[in-house]
Amino acid sequence: MSSSVSSDQPKRRLWHMLLVALIPVVGGGWLSGPQSTFDTKGPVAESQLDVFYVTLWVTVAIFAVVGAVLAYATLKFKARNEADEHAEPPPQGHGNPLIELSLIVVSILALVIIAVPTLKAIWYTYEVPEELKEDTYEVTAIGYQWWFKFQYDSEMVAQPFGGEAPLVTANELVIPAGRPVKVNLRTVDVIHSFWVPKLAGKVDMMPNRGNHLWMMADEPGYFWGQCAEYCGESHAVMRFRVIALAEDEFNAWLENQKAPARTVVSSEGAQISTTFTDYGTFEVNQPGWTSEFIEDPLGSWNALQAPHGDEDPALIAAGRQAFIENRCAGCHTVRGHDGIGNIGPDLTRIGSRSTIAAGLLENSPKNLYRWITEPDRVKPGNFMAHTRIVTPPGMITMPGYTVRDPATGDRNPTDGDIEITPEEGHALVAYLHSLK
Amino acid sequence: MDQSLTKNEFIGHEEHAPEAKRSWLFTRPDHKTGIVSWLTTVDHKRIGFLYGISALFFFLVGGAEALMIRLQLAVPNNDFISAQTYNEMFTMHATTMIFLAVMPLSAAFFNYIMPLQIGARDVAFPRLNGFAYWLFLAGAIVLNVGFFVKSGLPDMGWFGYAPLTSTAFSSEFAGDMSTDMWIMGLQILGVSSVIGSLNFIVTIINMRAPGLTMMRLPVFTWMTLFTAFLIILSFPAITIALVEVMMDRNFGTLFFEVSGGGLPILWQHLFWVFGHPEVYILILPAMGIISEILPCFSRKPLFGYPIVVFSGAVIGLLGFGVWSHHMFTTGMGTVATAAFTLATMAIAVPTGVKIFNWIGTLWQGHLMMRTPMMFALGFVWMFMMGGFSGIMHSAAPADAQQQDSYFVVAHFHYVLIGGSIFALLAGIHYWFPLMFGRKVSEFWGKLSFWVIFAGFNITFFPLHFVGLNGMPRRTFTYDGNMGWNSINMIATIGAFILGIGIAVYFVVMVYTYYKGEKTKRDPWDGRTLEWSIPNPPPHHNFDVTPQIHARDAYWYEKHHKAEIEAEKAKQAADDEVHGGIHMPSNSWFPVITASGMLIGSLFFCNHNFIGAIGGLVIVFFGAWMWSVEGPGGYHLHPTKEGSDDTDAQH
Repeated sequence: MSSSVSSDQPKRRLWHMLLVALIPVVGGGWLSGPQSTFDTKGPVAESQLDVFYVTLWVTVAIFAVVGAVLAYATLKFKARNEADEHAEPPPQGHGNPLIELSLIVVSILALVIIAVPTLKAIWYTYEVPEELKEDTYEVTAIGYQWWFKFQYDSEMVAQPFGGEAPLVTANELVIPAGRPVKVNLRTVDVIHSFWVPKLAGKVDMMPNRGNHLWMMADEPGYFWGQCAEYCGESHAVMRFRVIALAEDEFNAWLENQKAPARTVVSSEGAQISTTFTDYGTFEVNQPGWTSEFIEDPLGSWNALQAPHGDEDPALIAAGRQAFIENRCAGCHTVRGHDGIGNIGPDLTRIGSRSTIAAGLLENSPKNLYRWITEPDRVKPGNFMAHTRIVTPPGMITMPGYTVRDPATGDRNPTDGDIEITPEEGHALVAYLHSLK
Repeated sequence: MDQSLTKNEFIGHEEHAPEAKRSWLFTRPDHKTGIVSWLTTVDHKRIGFLYGISALFFFLVGGAEALMIRLQLAVPNNDFISAQTYNEMFTMHATTMIFLAVMPLSAAFFNYIMPLQIGARDVAFPRLNGFAYWLFLAGAIVLNVGFFVKSGLPDMGWFGYAPLTSTAFSSEFAGDMSTDMWIMGLQILGVSSVIGSLNFIVTIINMRAPGLTMMRLPVFTWMTLFTAFLIILSFPAITIALVEVMMDRNFGTLFFEVSGGGLPILWQHLFWVFGHPEVYILILPAMGIISEILPCFSRKPLFGYPIVVFSGAVIGLLGFGVWSHHMFTTGMGTVATAAFTLATMAIAVPTGVKIFNWIGTLWQGHLMMRTPMMFALGFVWMFMMGGFSGIMHSAAPADAQQQDSYFVVAHFHYVLIGGSIFALLAGIHYWFPLMFGRKVSEFWGKLSFWVIFAGFNITFFPLHFVGLNGMPRRTFTYDGNMGWNSINMIATIGAFILGIGIAVYFVVMVYTYYKGEKTKRDPWDGRTLEWSIPNPPPHHNFDVTPQIHARDAYWYEKHHKAEIEAEKAKQAADDEVHGGIHMPSNSWFPVITASGMLIGSLFFCNHNFIGAIGGLVIVFFGAWMWSVEGPGGYHLHPTKEGSDDTDAQH
């Protein structure tokens, strides 16, 4: 990840150089993270950054002047000693209206300098500009506690019980690069907020209210985003990604998504593997990401789109069975396979996503295993049925719960517990990762 | 005063009912010492002291909650506390600091200092003043009960955005009442604040000493007046919103219930119509304190007094027209966003004017660098920084990136710690000799200032960067690849330095209270009336009602001694002719009435409506007894030696 602000505008570059001179921490990476608002990759975030720079330099200039006067006054008029303090009091003047009025006028002028570009940017960032309107791609983002559903309103796909509905995916919004994207913002429960700092500032998803924002990725890229309005227990881990692809890649991706789920051909009579990877326990402070992924997120994402070589069809078939038996299908849909549930994320292409648990963890077998066996430890309070590990000696049995009773808000500790054996968990990982 | 000047029999008896006919139940207590004297007190100084002690206690509680938050965020993916606990901590940290620390600490100064500054012997309604304090304590208890019960503390943020407050989203289990406690606690605090404010307004309007015209009022008293008006005008909005959400939760109404067509955005508007003036409720008293300290330690009058006062009024007024800048990201549309952007920028002008005038006050003064002055100058610097980052997010497009990020956290801590808290800490140092007759050691006072100043900046300055680097607030964890690790670690270290500074400050204060150096009257060469009386102040404040001839009343007195002496002798004679100094008796009923509110609301939180009605019965009993317990009151005859010659009269 480059740590410098990329921009062709010399004006912007000058500002950035000044910033670097003023604040040495920029070089140290304090402003260059995956959600940096300085490392803008699209026109909306860029215009917001331009406004920020205007406010920054106007206020820094005022601060320099006023601060210098204040510092001078403090040092110059400080009493040097006891005698100085008790000297004849200074002239008891009450002020100077002329100075006051001129300072007020200067303050107002400084604010006008800020106000003009601000007003321009308010209108610019609100709607896709007229000249780009025709080219706009429209999607709908829907907030859930605590994940995002993305709906491609113009891409209709066949549904399990007939009819058509828009294509849906979860937690990774794939958009065409170089085209403005209008995102309609909806929520099914509480207030959430859609924020991809490098592409656009946030807009809230308000219940009973239709909000929208627009953004545009100048180049293909992989962008971090996060819910930015406190939305309950797991707000901190309600994250998502935006992946911008070149037009042809985007179309290819869409075609693949619209097709029913991929089925790995089962070789008859094969035994379900009983040896499984021991994923071990999870360390505190362990990052959700491997350094290889962070090095080149878009490349890593691309690599996930094609099936990997060593798939075990029998294990995958067992996983599909476990998916039904453990009632996963009640909340999740795998279009073309099983499941009609729509209260959990659509899993038709879960294997091709780079993240699980709403952008929280890299979609590795180990992470996925942990997520489906002890979801409450990955994401506190989440509404996926809290599953429970049985057998392996020494392992702690987690208290299970199902969903909350909407009337009382009660969690029933015994009713409907799902028990996933380590073998089933292993098979489920294989199955879900085969869904590319 | 001559001992032979006794109470005039002509005045004082007739309008009071004869003592003999009153039973003990209707006799007002007159305890001067002991626990009863505190429970029944109507003395504005004692009530101010109670407010102060309670506020400082909750300030430490809120600080401990902040340290829990910082410990959790010290390293990525930390599991020091759970998500649930973290959410409870940030909810209670904000609620505690705003409603239970800064507001009551300001109220402590309003109570203690304002009547002294206007030459009054008490506030207009002494029992109501006690009631406001006991209600405050009741509300504080209701808010903090969660520490000791299964439901835990409230966890939906101090802003309580609907629909997170609805039963569907806020209840972890059946009977979870943490949200109910937050709702009831805030309602009681609202009643307390409004009652207290009405009292202050009536006091300032009606009880000023002769000659104290409005444009001679000390600036702190002016800011008390503006703050009181802000409170009585803004609290109704939150009260309405809280009643609505209470009805949603308990009686099935649908104000914010999304499934029934309710509008969560309505909550935000109601909340911020209160919430933004609330910001000025927190900062105007601080500005008042600073406007007292800077002239005193510069030994010259406040620069541009009329403009400082007027800008306070303008800030208060504009403060009601900018609330939606907290909602720039809610999709208000372009015109509303532009209007609130411009209104918000406009408010920077009167704020900037105050800073210019403070600097003008220093100009050509003889600056005495004592501890209160250090805190006051620290305030000016830090408040400036907070003001400038405020201008940055008044620009709505820039705010779209900053809203709900750590940039905002940095901004308002500069305003609330660097602003309000620095000023309140300055005020404690400044008025400590007056309140307790002792002075804090300069060395320890300045040491605590520098540790607090350093810790505060180490904590909050880097948070600007982590916010602009995309870290959202109210998140219990973050991942290690976001570039936020070093800043969070620095901020946590800074928070502990700040904590040590606060600890030093309070240890020094407690030490000084018992063992500090005793001071004479008027140790700072003060300018306003409160310094004209002995320290600690006598119960009746002023032996003789002062006459005001100029803006800095006591400064004038000190420079026109002969004139004032003659005037005082005449006034003293007049007072005696009127039967001496009339003082109010104590009363049990403020605390009894407030306890009814406490009991009733705790039952209500438990959805036990019979018990809630029982609490209300106590409230009505207390209020009824309050109105029939009789006027009480007695007269004082201050002697020349300063000892009081009490003449009780029921």
